[in-house]
Amino acid sequence: MGRYVLNRLIVSLITAWVLVTIVFFLVRLLPGDPFLSEKITPEIRANMMKYYGLDKPLHIQYVTYLKNLLKGDFGYSLRYKNRTVNEVISQAFPYSADLGIRAVILATTAGIILGIIAALNRNKGWDYLSMFIAIVGVSVPSFVIGPILQYVFATKLNLLPVSQWKSFAHTIMPTFALSLSSLALVARLMRASMLDVVNQDYIKTAKSKGLSPFQIIWKHQIRNAILPVITVLGPVTATLLTGTFVVEQIFAIPGLGKFYVLGIQNLDYSLVLGMTTFYGLFLIAANFVVDIIYGLVDPRIRIAR
Amino acid sequence: MLKKSIAIALALLLVMGMLAGCGQQSGQQQQGGEKEQGPKEIAFTISAEVPSLDPQKATDTYAILVGHHIFEGLVRVHNGEIKPGMAETWEISDDKTTYTFHLRDAKWSDGKPVTAYDFEYAIKRLLDPNTASEYAFQGYYIVNGEEYNTGKITDPDQIGVKALDEKTLQIKLKTPVKYFLSLLNFISFYPVRQDFVEEMGEKFAADADKLLYNGPFILKEWKHEQELVLEKNPNYWDKDSINIDKVTIYIVNDANTAWQMYENGETDWEFIPAELVEQVDSEGRAMYFYDGSEFYLQFNVKREGKPWLANENFQRAVGFAIDREALIKAVMKGVSEPATRYVLPQLEGLEKTFAEEYPYEFYSKNADVDKAKEYLQKAMQELGISDPSKMTFEYLTDDTQRAKLTAEFIQDQLEKNLGIKMTVKQVPFKQRLELMTKMDYDVVFAGWGPDYNDPMTYLDLWVTGGGHNDTGWSNKEYDELIQFAKTTTDFKARADALFEAEKLLVEHGPIIPIYFRQRAWSCNDRVKGLVTNFIGATFDFVYADVE
Repeated sequence: MGRYVLNRLIVSLITAWVLVTIVFFLVRLLPGDPFLSEKITPEIRANMMKYYGLDKPLHIQYVTYLKNLLKGDFGYSLRYKNRTVNEVISQAFPYSADLGIRAVILATTAGIILGIIAALNRNKGWDYLSMFIAIVGVSVPSFVIGPILQYVFATKLNLLPVSQWKSFAHTIMPTFALSLSSLALVARLMRASMLDVVNQDYIKTAKSKGLSPFQIIWKHQIRNAILPVITVLGPVTATLLTGTFVVEQIFAIPGLGKFYVLGIQNLDYSLVLGMTTFYGLFLIAANFVVDIIYGLVDPRIRIAR
Repeated sequence: MLKKSIAIALALLLVMGMLAGCGQQSGQQQQGGEKEQGPKEIAFTISAEVPSLDPQKATDTYAILVGHHIFEGLVRVHNGEIKPGMAETWEISDDKTTYTFHLRDAKWSDGKPVTAYDFEYAIKRLLDPNTASEYAFQGYYIVNGEEYNTGKITDPDQIGVKALDEKTLQIKLKTPVKYFLSLLNFISFYPVRQDFVEEMGEKFAADADKLLYNGPFILKEWKHEQELVLEKNPNYWDKDSINIDKVTIYIVNDANTAWQMYENGETDWEFIPAELVEQVDSEGRAMYFYDGSEFYLQFNVKREGKPWLANENFQRAVGFAIDREALIKAVMKGVSEPATRYVLPQLEGLEKTFAEEYPYEFYSKNADVDKAKEYLQKAMQELGISDPSKMTFEYLTDDTQRAKLTAEFIQDQLEKNLGIKMTVKQVPFKQRLELMTKMDYDVVFAGWGPDYNDPMTYLDLWVTGGGHNDTGWSNKEYDELIQFAKTTTDFKARADALFEAEKLLVEHGPIIPIYFRQRAWSCNDRVKGLVTNFIGATFDFVYADVE
């Protein structure tokens, strides 16, 4: 097992290094440079390039960057002067994480409940309603849902604030808008899985033993049906935690999502790199943990590798 | 993207504009009357985080907006009028190159006095190459300013700015600069205190508690990406003139969300999203102001293989074939003004605006197809081309939706009116700038915002070898007119020369003005005395009040 973990760790570190290297050079291939603006003169631009060390040869910049990275230092943002990328990320990520975690909780609980209701009422009103919600969730993107929610619940009904992230009331609409598509995915998966399980022999056995329908559903059907849902939780969580950009825009939440887009628009090299590395390490770490857990659960996996 | 380009282009100083008496429909004012007790608060949104509030490093429109309220320069420009700021009085030498300012008793937000040394330090800091200030060029008017910034001299004491004592500041200019006083209202010239800047180091201005304030308001809170909270500055020398106690500035990127907040009463004024302008206007709630930006077609006259791009008559033909009014109506719902001349009409002349003193209209608001065809014929004769469809070119523009619609409109007009075929190339903003810098384009749709309130801010772009002249155009007479205007102390002769230069550019140069941009906005009735500007702080609420 120890060897397996070491293996996975080395692969993760190499992945991280490759990621940083590729992004480091790719972002510099984008046309233009961070300080291009309508007003700037060539001399002033040269001053700025020098100030940020961008006048040095590329390989030296690369080595410097890696050295700083090992110390956990992403450097200063080129656009948000006087702020480091570490500060930008540590200020913004908690909002994205908060929103993401709320969305994960809502998507899984509501999705599972919806799926169960649908399966138990197969081809009846509840089933159709649940699946209608699921289809809407999958097909209507959050940039449509968001403004509709704002219009109905904030502007027309005046129940909730239009935007921002200050109190529980502020979190309701963004959480819902973000989770809807994942919620729909979970609901459909749960429904299908429930219907699959219902035909299994052990359900028949349970019935013949004379267990009550509630016991069958609760102890046998749901428990077994939920396994496939758990396997998609990983990807769903990753999507929700990193995919907050659009919802954050619409609801003016000071999260991390927008920095990717802004970083690239402004050619803020250090910000783009910092963001990529941060999210990259985040996902790599998550994969690492999942790999380890798989290995623990299923010995075949660690032997196969 | 376009918004961003404007944020940078827009920039700067001086006011002028219109007193937006906000409360246009006095009919529906609340009759409460008893609200006098509580603190007076206003709120509005900006669409992006302020990248930096370090006066010498800030460049963007929001820093200029916030900076105008939390800092104060030697003078304060309000609604186009230059008023004493940190300087109580000043003298200008006869040759108009030496300015001596006498500072008033004023305090920083930590209680220490604001001195002439703070101004000297700030200006030297602006020009220090190690500060890497993007707007250092604002200090190039000062003796040795450019030389120091570009490394030709290394001794900062040679720069023409000196605190003679705590209360007296002397600034020496290379040449007489008619607009220098109003320029001092620009954020780059706001004072900073050496001991504080050095104590904060790289963290200076990173947060609300890492700045000192000397303006009408202080920055109480700065939640990055979320909101800025301003409070009335109890140390401000003129605090009795300030009515508002608290200002909340929300950072909301999505224009529709921002509008919903306004409609919900969470904010006091807001820009109107393009698709709602007609509706809001029909309800009588829309107002308009010029934001200072001008957009034009810019020809690359050095383009190989396409000699028509350098042909004056070809350029004029394109200029007359475009229906500017129809373009504005189709793309911008009528919000903006067709540009029939080059100099922004609101810019300052001698007594009135430059446009009032020197009226001029070369292009028409609508397409003049006959004139366009006439010019095209001349161009074809000169170039020995018989088929106009051979004179193709590529039109470079940003990758925004509005840029796309504009391009398609112009494409259609040229094809229909002249038979000229143009292709459209849309690229991200920074890439457009790079292609322009490298002169790797045929024709580009470009824009410019004024740096100061004078026609020169538009006209000196196009001199031979000018840092922003990416057209390859060079005209000796034009260069001489601009050079004369930059050195003469006779301001009437100067204005005449600028007008001659403008005509020369519009009639013979590579620039085809298209429109002067306006913004549509709406404001609560309860807010009074809010000023909009086409230069400097977009909104000026220093002396605003609420009912």
